[in-house]
Amino acid sequence: MPSVIYRNIRWSGRLIVAGLIVQMLSLLWTHPLAFVCFLLIGCPLVGAGILFFLYSLVTHESARSPTS
Amino acid sequence: MFNTALIPILFTAVVVLLGLLIAMRPEFTAARGGKIFAFVALCILPVVSVWAGFNAQIERSTSTQFCLSCHVMDKFGQSLYVDDKSYIPAAHFQNNLVPRDHACFTCHTDYTMFGDYSAKWRGVHHVIVQYFGTIPKPEDIKLYTPYNNRECLHCHAGSRSYEEASPHHKTPDLLSRAASNQLSCMSSDCHEFVHDVGDLGSATFWKPTAGGN
Repeated sequence: MPSVIYRNIRWSGRLIVAGLIVQMLSLLWTHPLAFVCFLLIGCPLVGAGILFFLYSLVTHESARSPTS
Repeated sequence: MFNTALIPILFTAVVVLLGLLIAMRPEFTAARGGKIFAFVALCILPVVSVWAGFNAQIERSTSTQFCLSCHVMDKFGQSLYVDDKSYIPAAHFQNNLVPRDHACFTCHTDYTMFGDYSAKWRGVHHVIVQYFGTIPKPEDIKLYTPYNNRECLHCHAGSRSYEEASPHHKTPDLLSRAASNQLSCMSSDCHEFVHDVGDLGSATFWKPTAGGN
């Protein structure tokens, strides 16, 4: 069971890091395309990573608890 | 001096490093402290970082350099240097009536509660047209809606030069009609010369001295 949560955490970390790297690069470039990349690529990646992390926490806890 | 624009970039870099640490060593989360650390590194800090980045992007997107970075806007940038004070954008730009670094945004934002965001949303639409639509000729570019006097009056309302200017008293109700947007400031015989990019071929241009921009 721990290997599943570790794998999920690893993937959510990767998604968040990828989104934040897009955000960092977009902040280095003053151009409308940088703004769009931030909005349409960076934000969804970070959002997906956070949601996946929270989802894996919730499913892990509920799988561990015999009452749930 | 330290450039404050670097703060969100440096903050994001730190969050990236923390995120990488968790992604490479998820076993940290086995301990209680590790769980708290993972929650901060993968939830709280990324949200703060995205928020800081979003604000930095919004702030950056208000710069004249940003607006003129699209080729189709070149002529609008040139129109700010027309050597003719009847051209309203040029007169404002050259006389520092608007901040030169934010010249486009100062006049083309909506002075309402969410005006900045609606202006940026229009900007996103411009980018979509730029890459996925048909780019119009500069002289064919028009505003989505007629220019609202509210944007002019945001600065001019109440100023002595505006209230006492004799052309503004041609008719007794002119100022009130302008305030209620019944009469556009850019009506013919008023401030009718705006960017007029189709006529730039015959225009002469102001060359700023070394002290200017």
